[in-house]
Amino acid sequence: MQWWCSATGLPWSWRWQWYPGVHLMVLLLGLGWWLLGRAHQWQVRPLRWFLVGWVGLWLTLDWPIGKLGAGYLASVHTLQFLAMTLLVAPALLCSIPDDGWERLAPPGSRARRVLRLFARALPGLVAYNILVVATHFPSVVDRAMTTQLGSFAIDLSWLVAGCFLWWPILAPAGFVRLGVFGKMGYLFGATVVPTIPAMMMVFSDWPLYRLYELAPRVSPHFTANQDIQLAGLTMKLVGDLPIWIATAVVFYRGTAHRRGETNS
Amino acid sequence: MKRLALLTTIVLGWSCSGGEQGELSPGGFLGAELTTPVPKPDFTFTDSKGAPYRLVDRTAGQVTLLFFGYTHCPDICPVHLANIAAVLDKMPDDVQRRVTVVFVTTDPARDSLPVLDKWVKGFNPAFVGLRASDSVLAAAQAEVKLPPAERDTLSDGSGGYAVGHAATVIAYTPDGVGRVMYPFGTRQRDWAHDLPRLVGYGQ
Repeated sequence: MQWWCSATGLPWSWRWQWYPGVHLMVLLLGLGWWLLGRAHQWQVRPLRWFLVGWVGLWLTLDWPIGKLGAGYLASVHTLQFLAMTLLVAPALLCSIPDDGWERLAPPGSRARRVLRLFARALPGLVAYNILVVATHFPSVVDRAMTTQLGSFAIDLSWLVAGCFLWWPILAPAGFVRLGVFGKMGYLFGATVVPTIPAMMMVFSDWPLYRLYELAPRVSPHFTANQDIQLAGLTMKLVGDLPIWIATAVVFYRGTAHRRGETNS
Repeated sequence: MKRLALLTTIVLGWSCSGGEQGELSPGGFLGAELTTPVPKPDFTFTDSKGAPYRLVDRTAGQVTLLFFGYTHCPDICPVHLANIAAVLDKMPDDVQRRVTVVFVTTDPARDSLPVLDKWVKGFNPAFVGLRASDSVLAAAQAEVKLPPAERDTLSDGSGGYAVGHAATVIAYTPDGVGRVMYPFGTRQRDWAHDLPRLVGYGQ
């Protein structure tokens, strides 16, 4: 039995497969969130955000998406990356209310100092980009995805990378140091580095990843080259969209806030 | 910041290089060069039109990539052929014209000539699909020193079967001598490196 989706080299099958590790993780996450809220006596429970993150995580890691991404299609692997960093991570960050963060990292605590540090633009960007680049090295992907532990580590890294990316934008007032234009510049900065691996996937003469080049085909009409090119396009075109939307939201909220201040 | 930028550049440059590449054989190939080259097997197969196809005659002067497999193969055969097709597509015309890919089915029971032809030409219209009687097939595999293909019942209850077969493509240079073997795992960039060398071998 496989606990976590990883590349097996076996022919693709649409027959359902159980991955206990994935189910255990989503179960523990749900339990952890509920217990945390109870222990810290949250005034509000952002249940909708939690459900978005929780369901997103489950769908991204479980069969069939988890299995396809782990060992068959680079394009699905990229979709998983985008879902984890651009949907699951920010939704989970939003699933903890402001007073919850205050209790998790009270003023003067080490956790507070760490969270304040990563609410700055540069540490957040550096941490996010290092994780993105490291988890897209061909040699890392080709090796890690063939083991359950390696595949788990990649998935977890994406979740952490997403938290690094969104924390400077979503952190409560007591943690945040970025202004409106700081946040906009930060979000723009977040789109730059992933462009490089994305373009390499699109324009490389030969497939970047051994794993996906030699994987058994899911459809004879969808070649490894097409798959990896689609992965690059998805990473850039689909991946940038939520960040541009977030930039627009930051700008709109910022101007609305300033207009409100001027009127009052 | 400068150090960070330098480190990022190095890391990105390495990451985008596609990682490591295999070592070259003494002859300068990325494939496994045979210590004792073998002659092209002199057998007559049947081509997609049902006509006899004498390998030695029909591929004379060509680089010949010979592969034994079957169309129901779920992994190795389609990946090998797709990779060769993808690379040939990007090669200059003079290389493309001088390479013949020959696929001999190890599952004649299911691979009728139309099935075989459609499947092979789905990768590249110039690829050649061949059939042979069981005895010729066994003799041809033995001559090129490949283990014989064997039928194996599938355990999924479908009643179907798989065919265990060698996952190796044998490359014959234009002089008709088999010099390099390409096991499963050979990447497109390896083929791209070796095909022009195979074409220009001895020139």
